[in-house]
Order: sequence, then C-alpha cells, then structure tokens
Amino acid sequence: MTAVQPATMMSGRYQRAFTIAVVVLVAGWHLAGAGGQLLDYRSAYGSFAFQGAMWLVMALAITAGSVLVLRGTPGRRAAWVVAVIALAASTAAAAASPAGRMLAVNWAWGSAGWAGVLVLFRRRFAELAWFLAAEALAILGVQVWDGLNRTDLAGFLALLAWSTGAQVAVAAAVRALDLAAGQAATAAASEHAARERAATAEIIRAARHARWLALQESAVPLVAELAAGTADPGDAQVRIRCAVQAARLRRLLAEGDEVPGSLVHELYASADVAERRGVAVEIETAGTLPPMPGPARRVITDAAIAILTAAHSQTRITLAVVAAGIAVSFVADTGAVVRLPAAGEGVVFEHQQDGGMLWAEARWNSR
Amino acid sequence: MEQQVTAAIIEDHPVVTEGVASWIRSDPGQRVRLVLTARDLTGLRAVPPPSADVIILDLELSGELVTAQIPELVAAGYRVVAFSGHSDPAIVMETLDNGAHAYVSKEEGSDHLVEAVLAAAADRPYVTRSQARAMLADQRPARPTLSEQERQALLLWFQGMSKASVGRRMSISENTVRQYISRARAKYAATGRTAPSKDALLARAIEDGVIKPGEITPYTSFARTAAGHPSEGAPDR
Repeated sequence: MTAVQPATMMSGRYQRAFTIAVVVLVAGWHLAGAGGQLLDYRSAYGSFAFQGAMWLVMALAITAGSVLVLRGTPGRRAAWVVAVIALAASTAAAAASPAGRMLAVNWAWGSAGWAGVLVLFRRRFAELAWFLAAEALAILGVQVWDGLNRTDLAGFLALLAWSTGAQVAVAAAVRALDLAAGQAATAAASEHAARERAATAEIIRAARHARWLALQESAVPLVAELAAGTADPGDAQVRIRCAVQAARLRRLLAEGDEVPGSLVHELYASADVAERRGVAVEIETAGTLPPMPGPARRVITDAAIAILTAAHSQTRITLAVVAAGIAVSFVADTGAVVRLPAAGEGVVFEHQQDGGMLWAEARWNSR
Repeated sequence: MEQQVTAAIIEDHPVVTEGVASWIRSDPGQRVRLVLTARDLTGLRAVPPPSADVIILDLELSGELVTAQIPELVAAGYRVVAFSGHSDPAIVMETLDNGAHAYVSKEEGSDHLVEAVLAAAADRPYVTRSQARAMLADQRPARPTLSEQERQALLLWFQGMSKASVGRRMSISENTVRQYISRARAKYAATGRTAPSKDALLARAIEDGVIKPGEITPYTSFARTAAGHPSEGAPDR
C-alpha cells in the first residue's frame, strides 16, 4: 500500500511554499528596491547615517518577521511587535527626510508595508488593512507637518494606490492560493480514499464469496444434522459448532457495512484461522478509523494472532477512534497471560487479566 | 415481591418472538410477564394503550424501518426497548433520539434483553455494548459533552470487559462504573428532540443521584462553544 498523505500535510506543504515566496519578495524589495533608492539619494538626506540606521532596523524587523512566519502563523503579539517596529522606523525615516522632497527620496514606506504583509497576511484581513491604513496616515502626517501642497497630495495618492494596492493584492492572492491548496489536497485525499474503498470493496466481495462457499460446506450440514436430529443441541460440542457457524453467518451479513480499512481486514483474516479452530470471534468498530501505516498494523496483527491462538472459545476484537489515534482491544478467554509483541511503531500495549479472561489493548498514536 | 413488569413484543419473525419469550420465561425471578405479541404496529394499535409497561420493538418490520414510529409509541405512554439486527451507530442514535429507552442488538439479546426491559420499566438507563459503541462513534454537532471518565468507562464496556473488570482497570468500584455509564446515557436523554420517555429517564437519573441538574448542559451551548467547527469538535479531549 502506498503511504497515505493526509490532506492537512499536503496543503501544509503548499502553504509553506507560498510563505517562502512572500519572504523572498519582501526581502528582495527591501534589499534591492528600498536599498537602491537609499543609495541613489544618499546626498539628498539630512543625515545619511540616520537613514542607513533606519534601513537596518527595518531589515532586522523583516528578518525577525521571516523567522516568525517560517515557523508557522505568528501570534498577534509577535506579529504586531514586528509591524509596529517597521511602522516606527519608516515614520522616523520619513520625518528625517528633507521637507518638500520627502516622497521622492522615501525608501521606507514600501518596506514597512511589505513588512506588514509579511507578518499579517495569514492573520485576519482586517489587521493588515489597519496596519496599511496606519502606515499611510503616518506618512500623510509627516507631509502635513512639512507643509502639504496639491502636488504633494497627488504624489501621495499615486504612491498609496501603487504600493498599498500591490501589497493588498499579494496578501489576497496568497490567501486565495492557501484556500485552493487546501481544497486540492482534500480532493486528492478523498480520491485516494475512494480508490482505497473500491479496492477494499473488491477484497470484501471476494472474501465474502469464499466464505459463502465455505458456509455451504460447514453451516448447511450442521443445520441438516440438527433438523434430522442426529446432532443434539444439548451436546457442548454441537453448541460450540453452532456458535462458530453463527459468528460466521453474522460476519457474512455484517460485512457490507464494515468500515473499510486494511487493519480491519487483516484482523478478519487473522480471525478466520481461529474460527476454523472453533473460536467464536466478534469484530466491531466505533467511529471512522484513520488510516494506519503498515508497520504499526503489523505490530497489532501480531498481537491479534497471539491472542486468537491462545483463546479457548471466544474473542471480541474492537477498534475505536480515540483522541490521538486508534484503540484496538481484545477480550478473550485465554486462561493465562499471553506474550504480546514489543511496543513500537507508535503502538503501546496494556493488559489486564481477570480470572481466565484477558483484556489487552493496543493504542496506536497517530502523532 | 415487586409487581411483575408487563411487556409486549412487536416482531415480524415468529421464531424471534419465540426466542424472546423463552428468555423472559427462563428469567429465574420471573420478573417480566409477556402480555402481548404482534407482528406489526397495527396489531398493537388494536388494543387501548398502554397495554404493557414496555414494548420490545423489532426495528425492521416486514422490511421497513420503524424508528420513525417510536415517538408515537412513546407519546402513547409506552416505554420502548429496541431489539434489532441492525447495529449501525446512526440507527442506534436515531432510535435513542426518538425516545427509546434502550437498544439491544440481536447478538446481545440473551444477556441483556430482560435486564433492559426491567431497567426501562423503572425509567433507568441501560446501556448495551452496541449502544456504547454508537455513543463513542457519535460525531453529531448536537452530541452531549462526556467527561474523560465517562468516555473511558464507555470505551472499556464497549471493548467487552465486564463492569467489574472496568472498575479494576479504572481503579474505581463497579458501582461507580455504572454511575459513569448511566450518566453518559442520561446526558443523551437531555439532548435532541423532546420526548416524555427522555424526560422520565432524566428525572429518574436526577432522583437516583446519577446526574445533577447542573451537569445537564443543553446541547446548544456545546454547539456554540464549538462554533465554526461543529464536526471537528474534540470528543476525546
């Protein structure tokens, strides 16, 4: 069987690629775009050293933001610390620029906006909108302080439309891609599940046919003997034969609504052998079982075989979905403690002996 | 001696009716008296209700599921114990939601049916393993919130342990095991559609000290806390 890729894992991989793309875009902008502008106009600033220092502060904020987003969606506090540092650095850089030429020589507005996109794009959209609005207001505030004329205002609006527009567009695009990746991964996973179900259905059908044929040879003669009076229901041996045939019939009837999944079928296969020996086996599942990797299944079926081999007349096997995975349990009249396989592959065992009854549980942790 | 509980069997296969009757007859205490058998619900409607304390109802009569008829029976004053070859958790949950007191699968019949009938007659919870299975598998947004201990007791019971073994495993008394399982069942009686039988079960559970009125959280509050992710709720946490 091929390894199963849960939908979340696949979409997580796409999301990481989008995150890296945003990091590269923002870092590239700050290095080439903002850095280039800073060097071009180095003689125009009152203090090039101060502008350089602010550029470095911004670079540090972007580095910190990159580390944060590469480790997952940042928390509100961490994200806003980075955003506010970027906002402060850009406002200080704008305020220290020569009045009248501020917009022309400003390298910081764009970088601050991109830093905001970097840390806020996976958080609520309103947060990014607030940040970009605050950033624009700060720049406008500096301009008003410097003395605002009509040309300046037109320049401000043009820059606002261009840079903020691009930032919003990138953030929206990444969110849309995240969503699409999630849907694609879910679709792929459900297709995989559908294929597995189809394959399983075929296995069940073949197994059921084989069992039906076997019943012809075992249950039918028993019923005939009972009807003819040659088999006595008072005889313990006859009762055991009846119990086994009843269990087989029940399974045959119940198989149609069994939860598909390889573990269940492997347990059925293990049970068949015990049934031929006269052990009545029940298998029940509670919940929709997540797929389990092959090595973990082998540990569990080894335990099943050990217990079924030791069982005298009955075994109940259950599979239940629990918080972190699957609990597979066995209750059997083994008489004595059974040697269970060693824990491993994410499977741990617990057992308890009460008189002749053994309870054993294998817990597989999916994490 | 306590008065006998009267029971009716609605079952379309005579051989099954005969089997159920024999379980009732072989009860050492003779605690249940069979007063009526019918092959379908019209047979029951022919007599003035309630003609028996408890109805043992086969859920599939002449090829038709009759879960939708349970509310009508419950409203007429009957207590219903469903007895069915179906063990699909969805059918079990629907049966309980419609007001049945207990669910006994046909495999469980010989061990549990008489006890379930007696519990139902007293409006006390009775949880079979198939019922525990359905409760464990329940993923409906409106399901009640079970405590860690209640879930663990249900799980071990479903797995096939005796209640005494469940107690040893959980280091609690057998009686406490019964309490946990009954409380989980009572929480179900407090959710979903309303039915007099569910009210009676709940009132009896409060009277018996199985559950406190404060522990019954209307399911809407759960749905609200899990808003946005109803199907991803964390039943096991």
